[in-house]
Amino acid sequence: MYALFSVASGLGTGLIGFYLGLGLVAIVRGLTGHDAYDEQVSITFGYVFGLIGWLMGVGMWGAWGREWFGLRTYWRKAPGWQRYFTFSPDHKVIGLQYLVTFIIVFLLAGLGAMLMRWELMESGMQLFNHDQYNAVMGLHGILMVAVAVAAVVGGLGNYFVPLMIGAEDMAFPRLNALTYWLIPPVAAMLLSTPFLGGIEHGWTAYPPLSVVTDSSQVLFGLAVITFGLTSILGGLNFIITIIYMRAPGLTWGKLPIFVWSMFVTSWMALLYTQGFAVALLMVLLDRIAGMSFFNAETGGDPLLYQHVFWFYSHPAVYIMVLPGFGIALEVISHFSRKPLFAYRYAVGGLLGILGLGGVVWAHHMFTSGMPNYLHGPFLVATEAISIPTGLVFLAALGTIWMGRLWLRTPMLFGLAVIFNFACGGVTGIFLADVPTDIHLQDTYFVVAHFHYTIVGGEIFGLFAGIYYWFPKMTGRMYNEKLAQLHFWWMFISFNVTFFVMHWPGIQGMNRRIADYPESLENVNLFVSISAFLLGASFIVFVYNMVYSWIRGPVAEANPWAARTIEWQIPSPPPVENFPEPPLVKGHPYDYGVPGSVHAVFPGAATLPAGGGGGQ
Amino acid sequence: MRRHVIAAVAVWVVLTAIGETLALADLYPTVGSSEAEDFDRIFRILIVMGMPVFTFVIAVLFYCVIRFGSFGKPSEDGPAYRGAGLGPRVWLAVTGSLALTVMIFPGLTGLAELQPDKSGYGWGESNAELVVRVVGFRWSWTMEYADAGVTVSTAQGKELVLPVDTHVKFEIESTDVIHSFWIPAFRMKIDALPGRTTHMTVKTTALGRFEDDDAYRVQCAELCGLDHSTMTFPVRVVPRAEFEQWLQSQKPAATAQ
Repeated sequence: MYALFSVASGLGTGLIGFYLGLGLVAIVRGLTGHDAYDEQVSITFGYVFGLIGWLMGVGMWGAWGREWFGLRTYWRKAPGWQRYFTFSPDHKVIGLQYLVTFIIVFLLAGLGAMLMRWELMESGMQLFNHDQYNAVMGLHGILMVAVAVAAVVGGLGNYFVPLMIGAEDMAFPRLNALTYWLIPPVAAMLLSTPFLGGIEHGWTAYPPLSVVTDSSQVLFGLAVITFGLTSILGGLNFIITIIYMRAPGLTWGKLPIFVWSMFVTSWMALLYTQGFAVALLMVLLDRIAGMSFFNAETGGDPLLYQHVFWFYSHPAVYIMVLPGFGIALEVISHFSRKPLFAYRYAVGGLLGILGLGGVVWAHHMFTSGMPNYLHGPFLVATEAISIPTGLVFLAALGTIWMGRLWLRTPMLFGLAVIFNFACGGVTGIFLADVPTDIHLQDTYFVVAHFHYTIVGGEIFGLFAGIYYWFPKMTGRMYNEKLAQLHFWWMFISFNVTFFVMHWPGIQGMNRRIADYPESLENVNLFVSISAFLLGASFIVFVYNMVYSWIRGPVAEANPWAARTIEWQIPSPPPVENFPEPPLVKGHPYDYGVPGSVHAVFPGAATLPAGGGGGQ
Repeated sequence: MRRHVIAAVAVWVVLTAIGETLALADLYPTVGSSEAEDFDRIFRILIVMGMPVFTFVIAVLFYCVIRFGSFGKPSEDGPAYRGAGLGPRVWLAVTGSLALTVMIFPGLTGLAELQPDKSGYGWGESNAELVVRVVGFRWSWTMEYADAGVTVSTAQGKELVLPVDTHVKFEIESTDVIHSFWIPAFRMKIDALPGRTTHMTVKTTALGRFEDDDAYRVQCAELCGLDHSTMTFPVRVVPRAEFEQWLQSQKPAATAQ
């Protein structure tokens, strides 16, 4: 079993590295007259060495590490499905590695949400004690943030950006593989936190709480810093790939909107992710080295953390939602059989969000006790960001207007992104305006709002993308009836759950609580039942995906008659993507324009060229 | 085309009319302060302003799906509008002025009322008839009526008692981690930080007590660990005379008798 060997050798060298780290700490501490083992310090150093060991063992040594010592590198050639379990340079393998991993993480984190809703069905404590509830709540938060940041970017982005720009791979294939193989240790560490005390500070990890809490916080900090590295390196890779590896003729004005959204997202990831990493590194140093950055008694300031943290974590919501917009606009154009309306304005909107996204962070801190003079500027910037966001809506609505809408599952999910984000956007105004925010901040109104934007905007986009590209990735077709069932089930239960959830927030139910006043019992019972229905909808999805991947009917070459490059090659694409490099002639969305083609393959007469066009 | 525009606008108008009834609904907890009246009013104004934007998107979506959608593969392409003309500019002008409006009213105007003092850390006037010093700690509160020398806590007094029709200023601190001082009936919160004193001033307008209405409670609204959810404290708003009596009864000398 090749796959087993690869993962086992990674785990083996990882363990060796971990104990090497512990040993080094023990030696240094022993020589300086301390106890040989200190939980936090030892875990930190053990982790760093263990992570390197894991990467090397899982295949990075042969593909990359040997080169540092002048040795010949090699790639492990694993047959069939086993290639997904080793360090692979192929962006299509890496894309599926990301996608499947994060679907699994999504389902686990969703299970956490189900447990929380079970606890919240009644006032008082039933399923959990306070400690367990906080642990599950924090875990749900950070896992879902990871899914939202990486599932679309790492999964669909990796798979389809090179295909859509006519490149044979990403610019840095080994770096790409590295970003994926950092994920399993992150997931394993986060999933182990409930058994080591649990992260009681939520995914935001505000000090002083995160400095004084138990040492599972160290695991949390190390995991998130590692995950940040994935995000930064991935962003860098996308930026270089999109700038330098576009096919001849693929000018910026002809770039598919999904690629544009990935470009903007990658800039966000590259520019801002270090904020979160630095914030957590400072917490870690407060804990293991007594730096007292955040301890007011010794000259630190607890509010400093929130600025550094939100400096990333607000742009992060655009890292989450812009790829969702990209997919939505992509499928909306193809399934409306019309050019993407106001394409240039939509691109301008994405760039505008990139520009403004970095200067709105303190709207998360309106009630934090920051100086009063800061509220006005952040209120203004936050309201202003609705203008570029509005351009995305213009493109979507302009495209479906008078279109020939083909209501297959990808289109339904794409339209749902627009529907849900309209609701999430309007409720955002209540939170951007300080006079209403000072009551609503940290209530279930906020919980409902960000689930509308992130789940409604991005996760619906993720499903649009999965259904849209399923035949491309697997060569098989999913079951349309089950997919439509999944859509309507998820769409209705999602909207019922989260629309109703605004109300307890207004009534005075704050977020992140294991218990609440009895007067809110009925509405919470209702929300819980609806949330269970929402959770159950994913059973249909998983069944459909697994069954169709193995047994589904072989898909047509271009089932959606789409014009973009990835649909003009076999499904799934060959390892080198294009036998002949494509030559881009026209706009990707020129539906209804006679004679227009997007791309041709000059060297290969047998391949369909351009395609689509509604014939 | 014209027929479609008229029909879609009709859908929009109908949806907006239905949606705007939400502004009439009583979605709010008990009103206990003049700030709460402001909040409810501004919240309703934002519903009135935001609803047409929301229903515009929904109306176009519904209209297009029902009128232009089909489950079978379309036999032809749609018209090749690219949207390069006047449309996007009008859209930008409209969304831009909407954003500007909300920014100024109720955003900045409301903010100016909340922050007469630009250099402090908190809401409302810095002068008040009654000052209560609040200290948050894991997982409860103490409230000190500084002038009277009275402190209430879970051991002593057991409730935050306030006189009605009075400007009350809370000066808030924390001894350990970050908490947030929030009374839903007053619609206002501010974090309790170690090493920094924040404040909020409210004007109480109605009698009420926790036993009858849980909007009259202090609730910690910033995650502070284990018992965060139960870090509450009962609030009672009483007539001024009764407040004075209560305050006398809480004085150390009085309790010693």
